[in-house]
Amino acid sequence: MNESKGMKNKDTTKEIIVAIFASLLIIVFASAILFSGAIAIPPQPTNRPLASFYLRTTYNWEFKWLWSSSPEVVTSILWDHRGIDTVYETSVFFFAIIGALMLIRSYKGGSKYKAVGMSVIARSITKITLVSIPVIALSIAIHGHLTPGGGFQGGSVFAISTLLAIIALGLGFFMERRWTKHRLLGLRTLGLMIIGFIAISLPIIGFFRGYSGYIMQNQWKPWSPLGFGYVFNLFGIEILYSGSLLFLNLAEFLAVSAGLTLAFIALALPKEDIRKGGGLDD
Amino acid sequence: MINEILWSYIYASVIAIIAITVYGMASRPHITKKLIMLSILSDTACLMAVLIGVHSGTIKPPVFPGISFTNHPQVGTAELDVFSYEAVDPIPQVLVVTAIVIGLAVLLFLSYIAILLYQKYGTLDVRLIELRRERDSV
Repeated sequence: MNESKGMKNKDTTKEIIVAIFASLLIIVFASAILFSGAIAIPPQPTNRPLASFYLRTTYNWEFKWLWSSSPEVVTSILWDHRGIDTVYETSVFFFAIIGALMLIRSYKGGSKYKAVGMSVIARSITKITLVSIPVIALSIAIHGHLTPGGGFQGGSVFAISTLLAIIALGLGFFMERRWTKHRLLGLRTLGLMIIGFIAISLPIIGFFRGYSGYIMQNQWKPWSPLGFGYVFNLFGIEILYSGSLLFLNLAEFLAVSAGLTLAFIALALPKEDIRKGGGLDD
Repeated sequence: MINEILWSYIYASVIAIIAITVYGMASRPHITKKLIMLSILSDTACLMAVLIGVHSGTIKPPVFPGISFTNHPQVGTAELDVFSYEAVDPIPQVLVVTAIVIGLAVLLFLSYIAILLYQKYGTLDVRLIELRRERDSV
């Protein structure tokens, strides 16, 4: 074949250009570190003023008009201080999954795949982890406003368990349980809709009650007295739920876990099904 | 002195990984290797962002300690001073949290494109794909 002949002609000019570009990248980054002062070697002795501001105000009971009522500063910034940005990043994730599914349109579901996996040992152990990993994932999501973690992390951990199950138990394990594209996509969309609803709920309530409310607002502000609150009384025990952070984390957990599960299932489809193409019907 | 040498070593290795991955993405002909390089590049960029937030001294995670669902006492100014002095910069970590998941989604999207390319041309070598495209168009 003439294919192998064409492959032997190595394009040395392109290689040299790429090498020059890569070494330019080294020079740019090294000069950014050494001369511009963006990164100090060794690191600066204390925090930067902006970091100190966030660390000081997110759980400050004396300045409640600046706080987000959560001891977890990362989740506070993620869902409160720059919440709109996170909503848009969630929609980027959503459209990446949608675009990927558009490329593979033939995912039919149904029970034509049999649950043929690996050996008995691998299948038994995977069934144990299929219970324990989602429990840990849900715990990470629920405690997202108290400990490191949150919806993104919990959803990613959940998707690991389905990935393991696809490999060890076979694709039929999910097909027999009717984890179809429409159900998973529905859960994915439900999570995004909950996030959008929480985002616009305070402006709508404020509109009808005569106050000003802001998109992705969590706690009350002096110029906007609406807020989600931060504790609720459950049989005499005051439970800290940090306003909208708990709900947003749970919705994000739902969205990320369903989306990644769908993507992994579609990625594991047999070759013939992908080739057939066809409609989006179930 | 030993501190500076170690930190320079860390930053030099991070920059070297970034340069190598850019070179590999551009020069390796196989699409799977390009995807591996892309994932290493995004992870290294995340590592670099987190490294910017580190300060020398006692390092604690940016989570106020000892708070749970039921135990949430009011926190005084002195404790917050200590906390804001010890905890690392949370802002790069916030950027990294979303970057990881979005990077995973984009990587999945690119893997689907790679699967379709393999369906169409029977290979993932870009040189062979180019040749076969020319052969098909003639």
